[in-house]
Amino acid sequence: MFAYDGRTAVRGSAGRPSGGLGRPVPVLPAALAARARPISSASSRLLPLSEPLVSLFPDRALRRGSTVVVAGARGLGTTTLALALLAAPSAAGSWCGIVGVPDPGVVAMAELGIDLGRVVLVPEARGGWVDAVGELAGGIDVLLVRPFGSCRPGVARRLVARARERQTALVVLVDRPEEWPDGPDLTLRVTRAAWRGIGAGHGHLQCRLAEVEASGRRSAARSVSRRLWLPSSSGTVADGDGPEQPV
Amino acid sequence: MGMERLIALWCPGLLREGERGDEARAFLQVLVAAERFCPWVDPVSLGICTIPSRGPSRFFGGERAVVEKLAAAMGDLAVRHPAVGQVRVGAADGLFAALLAARSGLAVPRGETAAFLAPCSVAVLRRTELAVTLQRLGVHTLGQFAALPARDVLARFGADAGACHRVAGGDEGELVGLRDSGLRRRLETVRTDRADAGHPRQPGFFGGASAADARAAEAFARVQERLGAGAVVVGRLQGGRSPEERASLVPWGARGTTAPSGPSGRSRPGSSPAAAPWPGRLPVPSPTRVLGTPVELAVTDDTGRAVQVTARGLLDADPAAASIGGGPWQEVRGWAGPWPSTERWWSSRRRRARLQILTAAGALLVVAERGGWWVEALYE
Repeated sequence: MFAYDGRTAVRGSAGRPSGGLGRPVPVLPAALAARARPISSASSRLLPLSEPLVSLFPDRALRRGSTVVVAGARGLGTTTLALALLAAPSAAGSWCGIVGVPDPGVVAMAELGIDLGRVVLVPEARGGWVDAVGELAGGIDVLLVRPFGSCRPGVARRLVARARERQTALVVLVDRPEEWPDGPDLTLRVTRAAWRGIGAGHGHLQCRLAEVEASGRRSAARSVSRRLWLPSSSGTVADGDGPEQPV
Repeated sequence: MGMERLIALWCPGLLREGERGDEARAFLQVLVAAERFCPWVDPVSLGICTIPSRGPSRFFGGERAVVEKLAAAMGDLAVRHPAVGQVRVGAADGLFAALLAARSGLAVPRGETAAFLAPCSVAVLRRTELAVTLQRLGVHTLGQFAALPARDVLARFGADAGACHRVAGGDEGELVGLRDSGLRRRLETVRTDRADAGHPRQPGFFGGASAADARAAEAFARVQERLGAGAVVVGRLQGGRSPEERASLVPWGARGTTAPSGPSGRSRPGSSPAAAPWPGRLPVPSPTRVLGTPVELAVTDDTGRAVQVTARGLLDADPAAASIGGGPWQEVRGWAGPWPSTERWWSSRRRRARLQILTAAGALLVVAERGGWWVEALYE
């Protein structure tokens, strides 16, 4: 009559070892593990990056005063990637700014390992984004900006020059690389991405495997392609060629 | 049979209220623990509650898994709160059978309700007069009672006995008297504010601001001068359920934002109080954009008909296409949920359901409320 032994299954016995009862996946250890140790002092020319990202950068770090364009269709994880560039610097004590990204996901930022106490945001800069970038470039170490509308070449050149002069790393988030009309030091293009863990009415968005192509000038002239979890199932960025994410 | 499959919890030590209200308080703990499995916990009477089986079973991989996890959770709860005592878990079709199943700690397979009820005494209907009369007639069990012709029962004993007869035969699950209508109010009076009220984090201060901090603060002030004081904000984590509740943006310069926080004060995902489990909290990873103003979404099935969330929090059809804010239709490639969300269910009847929808253009977090769909957040 009974499909399974209800008597043993359902008695709530005190002291029973706790099972997997809907406890949240332990987020923190993975987040900490993915967070790189600071590899530079504040006066150094290099800012740290999370370990999974270093192979995309010719210096294996984020160079102060350089410009990095993060490009790709929305939905491919470009926002995740751009935000991830702020994780290690903010955790190491660098001030970071985010300009022109409306409605930023603060919880996602924390999951990526960003120290929220070191990041200021100007979400609704709109037409004032150029002013905001110009002012912030003088005072902080990493500046992530999504240009509002089309950006004229003269404006882009001016902002890049200011960032270089003030030794602020500039991260520009765009849908297509052409939207930033000034040759950056490095372009990170997310060419494709696929979510795992979600089905037809079951599971949930667990992790997104993305292909990222890095190309640039000088030492970065040869393009590098990497697979990254943007994000992994713990909300961090992880090496996509590493062990499979648990799905 | 159209009866809903229910999982019931039966707390033998909490069925009667003592003078100090400890039972009601302990029962609240049970409800909160059950809410971790499904927010639609239905308190039936003191010490007894049910949850629908279908949603959690889908989430946890089968009813058996839910029942086992519930039992383990209740065991843990009893260790932490000895006043809770034993909690028995059962499952069956319909409320009446589910309660009897829980009392015995049994899971009655789907469709076996009548067979399960048949050997039970007519006394379990809690109709003393009816039970006495039936036993005098030689009708001792629910099975024997159910075997009497419905018309005769109605004619001889009246409408209430007719309802009991349908319940005895496993055709209906609700019966007058099963529910304590005053329970919600009683729980409300013993409820103490707990759980996810949100503790704003106390930033730990370094001794003094460094030169870099001073330079940064000057830059923020200059941006504020140009764009307005509210234009420069910092993010903070707090307790809460939905993405917009779990985080807030506060203007730079507000108390506690202008000095850097020490490593110990760093906001950490997964740390309390932001660590309420499903379904209070959405799964990690979280969306990278949380819309301040949700955008309307249209969702249709493969025939072009609008998909709706039923009163029980299920979809009435599989989503096939979605259009954000009147934009182009995108193919739906996957979806998860709906995860029902009732904020503070015992004080409010407001029902929402959240889904994750994966379209060709990206992944969305959407909320269904009052027949409409809204994009709440994006995974960009």
